[in-house]
Amino acid sequence: MLYLFFTTLTLLAPPAPKYPADAIAPALRENAHAVVRAYDEKVVVKSASQLVKTVHKVVTVLDESGSDDYGMLALDYSSLRHISYLRGAVYNAQGQLLHQLRPSEIHDQGMGSNSFMDDLRTRYADLRQPTTPYTVEFDYEIVSENTLFYPDWQPQDAENLALEGATLQVTMPTALPLRYQEQLLPAGAASAPVATGNQTTYRWQLPAAPALEREPLAPPLDELLPAVHLAPATFEVQGHAGSLASWQSLGQWVYQLGQGRDALPPALTAKMAQLITVAPDPRERARKVYEFLQGSTRYVSVQLGLGGWQTASATAVATGGYGDCKALSNYTCALLKAAGLPPAYVALVGAGEGASDVRADFPSSQFNHAILCMPLAAHGTIPADTLWLECTSQTDAFGYMGAFTGNRHALLLTPEGGRLVATPRYGAQANRQQRRTDLWLNTEGGAKATVRTQRLGLAQDTYAQLLHNADPEQQKKYVSSRLRLSHFTITSLRLANAPTPALPGVVETMGLELASIGTAAGRRILLEPNLLGRLGALPAQVGPRLTPLALPPASLYQDTVRLHLPAGFRAENLPQPTQLTSAYGTYSSTCTTLADGTLQYVRLLETRRPSGTTLPAAKYSEYQDFRRKISQADNAQVVLVKTDA
Amino acid sequence: MGVVRWPGQALAGLGMILLMNGLPASCWAQTHVPPAAFKGPPPVRFGQPEAADFEAKNFVADSGAAAVVLCDYGTSRFASPGGEMCVIHERVVRLKILKKAGYDYATVEVPLYHRDENKEKLSNLRGFTYVRGADGKILRTKLDDAGVFVEKRTDRVNVQKFTLPAVQEGAVVEYAYTITSSMLSDYPGWTFQRDIPTRWSEYRFSYPMPYRYKMLYHGYVPLATSEESTGSVALILTRRAEFGAGAGIDVGSTGVSMTTEQHRLIVRNAPAVRAEPYITTPDDYLTRITCELAGIQWPEEQYRDLADSWPKKNGLLLKHEEFGLVLNHAGFLADVVRPAVQANPDPAARAAAVRALVLQAVKYDGSPRLLTSGSLKHTWEQRRGNSADVNLLLVAALRQAGLVAQPLLLSTRAHGYVSQEYPLLDQFNYVLAAVELPGGHDLLLDATEPLLTADALPLRCLNKIGHTVPAEGEGRWVSLAPSLRYTHYQEVKMTLDAQGGLTSQAREDFGGYAGLAAREKLAQLGEKKFAAELASEHPSWEMPSYQLSGTTNLGQPLSISYTLRQPAETATTAEELYVKPLATFSEDSNPFQLAERSFPVDFGMLRQEVISLTLTLPAGYTAELPKPTTLALPDQGGRYVYAASSPAPGTVQLLSRLTLDKPVYSAQEYHALRELYRQMLAKQAEALVIKKAGS
Repeated sequence: MLYLFFTTLTLLAPPAPKYPADAIAPALRENAHAVVRAYDEKVVVKSASQLVKTVHKVVTVLDESGSDDYGMLALDYSSLRHISYLRGAVYNAQGQLLHQLRPSEIHDQGMGSNSFMDDLRTRYADLRQPTTPYTVEFDYEIVSENTLFYPDWQPQDAENLALEGATLQVTMPTALPLRYQEQLLPAGAASAPVATGNQTTYRWQLPAAPALEREPLAPPLDELLPAVHLAPATFEVQGHAGSLASWQSLGQWVYQLGQGRDALPPALTAKMAQLITVAPDPRERARKVYEFLQGSTRYVSVQLGLGGWQTASATAVATGGYGDCKALSNYTCALLKAAGLPPAYVALVGAGEGASDVRADFPSSQFNHAILCMPLAAHGTIPADTLWLECTSQTDAFGYMGAFTGNRHALLLTPEGGRLVATPRYGAQANRQQRRTDLWLNTEGGAKATVRTQRLGLAQDTYAQLLHNADPEQQKKYVSSRLRLSHFTITSLRLANAPTPALPGVVETMGLELASIGTAAGRRILLEPNLLGRLGALPAQVGPRLTPLALPPASLYQDTVRLHLPAGFRAENLPQPTQLTSAYGTYSSTCTTLADGTLQYVRLLETRRPSGTTLPAAKYSEYQDFRRKISQADNAQVVLVKTDA
Repeated sequence: MGVVRWPGQALAGLGMILLMNGLPASCWAQTHVPPAAFKGPPPVRFGQPEAADFEAKNFVADSGAAAVVLCDYGTSRFASPGGEMCVIHERVVRLKILKKAGYDYATVEVPLYHRDENKEKLSNLRGFTYVRGADGKILRTKLDDAGVFVEKRTDRVNVQKFTLPAVQEGAVVEYAYTITSSMLSDYPGWTFQRDIPTRWSEYRFSYPMPYRYKMLYHGYVPLATSEESTGSVALILTRRAEFGAGAGIDVGSTGVSMTTEQHRLIVRNAPAVRAEPYITTPDDYLTRITCELAGIQWPEEQYRDLADSWPKKNGLLLKHEEFGLVLNHAGFLADVVRPAVQANPDPAARAAAVRALVLQAVKYDGSPRLLTSGSLKHTWEQRRGNSADVNLLLVAALRQAGLVAQPLLLSTRAHGYVSQEYPLLDQFNYVLAAVELPGGHDLLLDATEPLLTADALPLRCLNKIGHTVPAEGEGRWVSLAPSLRYTHYQEVKMTLDAQGGLTSQAREDFGGYAGLAAREKLAQLGEKKFAAELASEHPSWEMPSYQLSGTTNLGQPLSISYTLRQPAETATTAEELYVKPLATFSEDSNPFQLAERSFPVDFGMLRQEVISLTLTLPAGYTAELPKPTTLALPDQGGRYVYAASSPAPGTVQLLSRLTLDKPVYSAQEYHALRELYRQMLAKQAEALVIKKAGS
């Protein structure tokens, strides 16, 4: 009896609650949609060619907005990256088990149309709950045969996400040293490595941290939160061994993977060789080759196994007329060589507008794109130059690196190994927008306008896309959506290529009809002559600025507006000229009456990005002040009055 | 194309419904005719490009387009390879690539579905790219294996991808493939139109008379040709033993020859179709036909009516293991709903209480579906499901609570309009609960959206009409037009000082669907960012304080009160001041920017936007009152009222009220709607001239 009684008791004892939501400190709830209760990652490097990552992740979802991001888990896998297991459970606010994830509830699917051909797939589990808070717990293991990449550890990696605590443990064969870079770690986060037998174990931990909120003009969030970046010293992928001791050795490995894939069909070699006589100047000849490339190939993404790093052969591109970034760069390299040009190098780059630059002091695979770089020696009066080519675009200007690849580091792949170099950066004079607007007012308060806008450099990136990839109807929709006018009709719109010798450019000519412009006030009309050039206001700042300031690239905006008045109207009051100077740029605007009675408004804004990529948060109010003064000046009004005549 | 009509009206107007009913019971042909004997030469011969397609002058009219479909030609017919009945669909597509932006049209994805033994198989894939060389000769490059890839996208869908080689501007690309499908109930439909212009799109299809398909035409481009004829097909079908130990074993073949009904449909010069703001889905405007198996009539057998009428359709659904049958296993809900039943004798209140229970217990996973993913018990235990899982659980719970509840089928806005004329199930992708209240009133309930009250449907459901699925009978159409409106009310008390500085006490109420939008935003951003975003709508103003209310009571508008301040630029007292009081609280720009529109404007609900503002002038100043305005849309579509008064000396009262009384405005009404917004914005931007008395 006693025995039975005891057993019954044991069966009835409820399991201890796990991660109850009310155990979360109030400071961690502030601004948080979810709290990471635990993020324990173990990385075991079995050999130079295999790595096993085990993760125990527990997140409490505090509100509905956190549900989609943290109530589900998706794991990517591929031919070089396998998921050993994925387990999950979900608990209610009190920490009682609600549901244990069943294998049949794990979905598996392809990645869709992102890439034409890839072996990347995803497995995902959905544990979202109808009421919050709730807690999900996931355990998974990933075996990677792609040791070029070691995982990055950043347990808190999003805004509105707090952290209770996290650990990282990396175990290596002592013979294989671990390379790591710590980012913004608090004191005491790292422990000294411990060697046992022929294994060495490294440990890190992070204490609780409150949620962060993204602020306007801030650097990417992953640069603002603690992380440990891991990388191998030596690695081996599908039998290809390499070293990450330096950029030189990484570059060497990638270079060797691609070696011997540059043969072209003889007819094509001959065709390129003809260019030597057609265009004796090397730069001109390179331009001809690039035009040939753009006219006869297109980008098709292929990511299969080692093919993610190894280029397809130049012959394959020549036959099919398509390839991914590596294949097209490799092919172009071969074309340039056949055209008798000096050696060009494929360069790896972390592409993307606003992407973080490479951590230059930590050689590791931080790239997602390939471009081409060709140093040109000085000859005659022409100085030495470096030519950069984007080989996946059929429309990019020759030698231009826009917001996608410009102003960052790239890894040149040379026969001697890798070399980290800077891609082109354009200054304010290069990123220029010049606009001339003619406004013909009528007596009813409406107007017709013609607007001619020339954009150069980074200012033309979007418009070049629009010019090449959108039809007239789509162009009109986009341009309409950018006009800060209350009501208008675009009567004509034309975009055209208008490069300068050094820079790509797009010119936009537009006709506008404005049913009412300005504000009628009795016999007067008030209107803002800065019809199209107003700089948008900064989002309102609530509370103190916390994150550093990352300003957009330096640019130049020039606006000239001519206001042609109808008979019976005269200017009663013109705005005072404005002149602003700050560390962030200069601004001036003037409004004058020309001899024939036409009003002329001229505005000049040159924005500056002070040295370094970011500025301390404390500088924000100064910047805000500059922007506020510009906004005020931009909204200056002209007062017109009906003459009695 | 000039006149845009609702698809339903277009159908009636064009008279292009292809209904294949009422055939004679016996229709066996006595003569053998080769299969797929479609009359007339094909419009395109694969591998034989035409010289005219390389002449630039033939594409002058398409200068805006990135690519043009020269010919899209498809056929579908019955066949019996391997002794099993199947549908063979063959397709040849020829495109002209005009610009680099059109290169994407040289990469093609064909989804292939499979489920249990039924599957679609793609074969005979081939393709060429043709380019005219400088010498005038046509160069051809063949699609090779390097350009072909199959992605296993989900458990039920594989995607056959291929990309054509050597594509450049001016190239003509061509591809062809065959799909063999054993899914006889999904006879291939045809879409005649795309997001690029289509010169010629032709579909020829035939089926043996025993099979009855219903075809439904949608869209705005008329058929240039619609021919019908009879032909025949010879099939060799494997017989299998039906009984005993050898059941299923092949016991020989039978050759049958059957009369077929053949159709040939052609659309010529169909323009490109693209999305516009405030529409349901661009698919609603594509010219296409869809097909559904209606019944089977074998000779000397009873007609098997599969989907011919609403009672049949409903019967089918009610017996479906992922629809009606799940409703029979809901006994576990009896205990769950008991407290709600006891606490709520009133049926409407009880229904709302049951919905609240389901909302608390089960989360909508974001997938709109007509069929459940499993049993209701499974959904209940997993605490999550698609719209059918959640709302059929709601139907079952309402029934357990003693209410008369039926499923109601609908098509979400993203899924497109439904035609009321034909009971085609493919039109629907979502299910709700309809509760019959005493007095014949319907209460439509949905348990997928926690930020809405019980009497409101989520935005995705606001798509005109739905159809009930009663236990017996044919059911009926129910309007989905919501009684709840989108209401935005702003009350402002503004004070002007003699230097031109302004201080405002404002309260904004977001009611109905505006409340839903505001609550979604609030949940997403949190209070601080929500207020910051609101402050950003008033640039050059300071917002020293704000207060939110009504955040939890969904029956009340979400309300935010705040102070706005705009200090004077100078310390000097002005003789004359210009103030635009409403401008701060009005929209920045007309939402209808484009001068022309080809599709209706579908808001889904009625709207009202009101600004009521009281301006207190500095002592000793007077204001000229602006002129009042009333503008009305034709056909009682809505109105805008602007009024100004001076209720007391030194005070100006302004009222701006926009009322839109239709959930949907036709393309013809677009100009009036755009003009109404323009005039409203102009009135709201008007300045008051305020003068010092005696100056």
